[in-house]
Amino acid sequence: MIRVELVKQLRRPRGWVTLAAMAGVALVVAVVIAVTRPSLPERIGDWGSVVTDSTGFALPLIALNAMLLFLLPLGVAIFAGEPVAAEASWGSMRYLLARPVARWRVLGSKALVAALFSIAAVLVAIAVSGLAGLVAYGWHPLSVVDLQHTTPFHIAAATYSPAAALGRLVETTAIVLCLLASTFAFALFLSTLVSSPFVAVAGAVGFGFVSRALDNIPGLHALGGWLPMTDTGTTLWTGLFDRPTQLAGLGHLLAVQALYTGAFLVAAWLSFTRSDVLD
Amino acid sequence: MIGAELAWQWRRPRTLVTFGALAAFAVALTVSIAATGSSTVERVGDIPLYLVPGRSGLVVPVIALSSTMKFFLPLAVAVFAGECVAGEAAWGSLRYGLARPVSRGRYLATKLAVAALLSLVAVLLVPVASLVVGVLAFGWHPLTALDGGASVTGGAAVFSPVTTVARIGFGTAYVALGMCSIFAFAFFLSTLTSRPFVAVAGGVGLTIVSRVLNADYLPGVAAVNAYMPNNDVDLWMHAFQQPAPTDGMVHFAVLQLVYVVTFVGLAWWWFRRKDVLT
Repeated sequence: MIRVELVKQLRRPRGWVTLAAMAGVALVVAVVIAVTRPSLPERIGDWGSVVTDSTGFALPLIALNAMLLFLLPLGVAIFAGEPVAAEASWGSMRYLLARPVARWRVLGSKALVAALFSIAAVLVAIAVSGLAGLVAYGWHPLSVVDLQHTTPFHIAAATYSPAAALGRLVETTAIVLCLLASTFAFALFLSTLVSSPFVAVAGAVGFGFVSRALDNIPGLHALGGWLPMTDTGTTLWTGLFDRPTQLAGLGHLLAVQALYTGAFLVAAWLSFTRSDVLD
Repeated sequence: MIGAELAWQWRRPRTLVTFGALAAFAVALTVSIAATGSSTVERVGDIPLYLVPGRSGLVVPVIALSSTMKFFLPLAVAVFAGECVAGEAAWGSLRYGLARPVSRGRYLATKLAVAALLSLVAVLLVPVASLVVGVLAFGWHPLTALDGGASVTGGAAVFSPVTTVARIGFGTAYVALGMCSIFAFAFFLSTLTSRPFVAVAGGVGLTIVSRVLNADYLPGVAAVNAYMPNNDVDLWMHAFQQPAPTDGMVHFAVLQLVYVVTFVGLAWWWFRRKDVLT
């Protein structure tokens, strides 16, 4: 069941185009930096700064900082929002459900394959920029300057050995994946409601933007901690590269993500198992 | 022709829901500020300005305008502009609209005028509603704006209530100007597609592309930054600095004009030749 779905999605150009776009943007960021900004400090999140050509580990951080706003959520929304709605738009949903398989298993296998592709999208973006960085600038220790505590008399910097930097990059990837979980679940839920893949994908991208817009309203601070996509949450991973490591809001972030993800997955399950399938 | 179109659009639930949501936003913002502590210093915009809502109700429209100009107002404008022609096509009533003895150019101009009027009302509604609610809640007092971008701390400027209202009026006009590019793009999409959602999402998508191609997030795209339609929509907030810099405002106005002429022109060109099947 899962294998059938996986083979189907692997054969479609959509997934490969999306993954190629992720790799392409990561490469473009690397090339643009190599051409226009050699050996310049580049800002990471709210406080950090890395020098681009000092080590290959700087590039994945810069790429993540740039892609987390829009491109990675878009990739996840494409993978999660498309598979169910696409079957409906092709008119093949009723034949899919005519197989002697429970509806929840159909949804489960689609969700699992979509999750694999979404994880692949994030990994591709980080791996491509990391490899490009290592090829261009080499396997050197990573220095992150803390702009908040740097004065003209004292440069507050944390240096990580290549192995330690790699370890932190892996932890960063894990946090980023958790952060995108609510978008994934919402896209899947929307996908079960509509029969147009475009609506599901655009709606899921809009979900993040509505959340961000609400987060950025001065006067609505009380809401900030409970939104699925916020500026604080998006830059939380930079705390991994601070010294001492600052992950104060991580537990709360994971709890909020789990809450939204769980709620939308249940909603998707309820809507898909009960929906009157006409296409 | 315009009167009939306006009377019809005005009664639609879509219009009333959009206006209701924008007015409700103003009320919700005021209630939230009052509930969570109106004496908190609010950091507003990118300059940033530091404002205290509890000292003057006139702070509320500044916050409301600055927090809706980048997403919620473009969304409202895209709804009005993106739906006007594509909505008719989706219902299948476009061909009957065009069967009347009226040229296609006039039909399109009517749609454009009514959608523009509704968009303008949406932009005006946010500052007006929040001004009324804010003044009722926190009073008609001079506005103190602390300029967070000034090199010397304590760069506070005090504006009398009348001056403040005048500057909010200027800000509203500037934001309305900034919505023109989104309006024109969504309107053009509306003539292309027969699915309103695509036109609305495309209009909002233009603001998102504009924001993503912003030098703050992506290194190396500073070259296109000046030509993006929605990035400089926050320049009106400089009116609350002392002295108020006006750099970039003329460039922004010209840019909006270019977007409007391009996309409205394309819409007109396309719609006159379109093969209307629905």
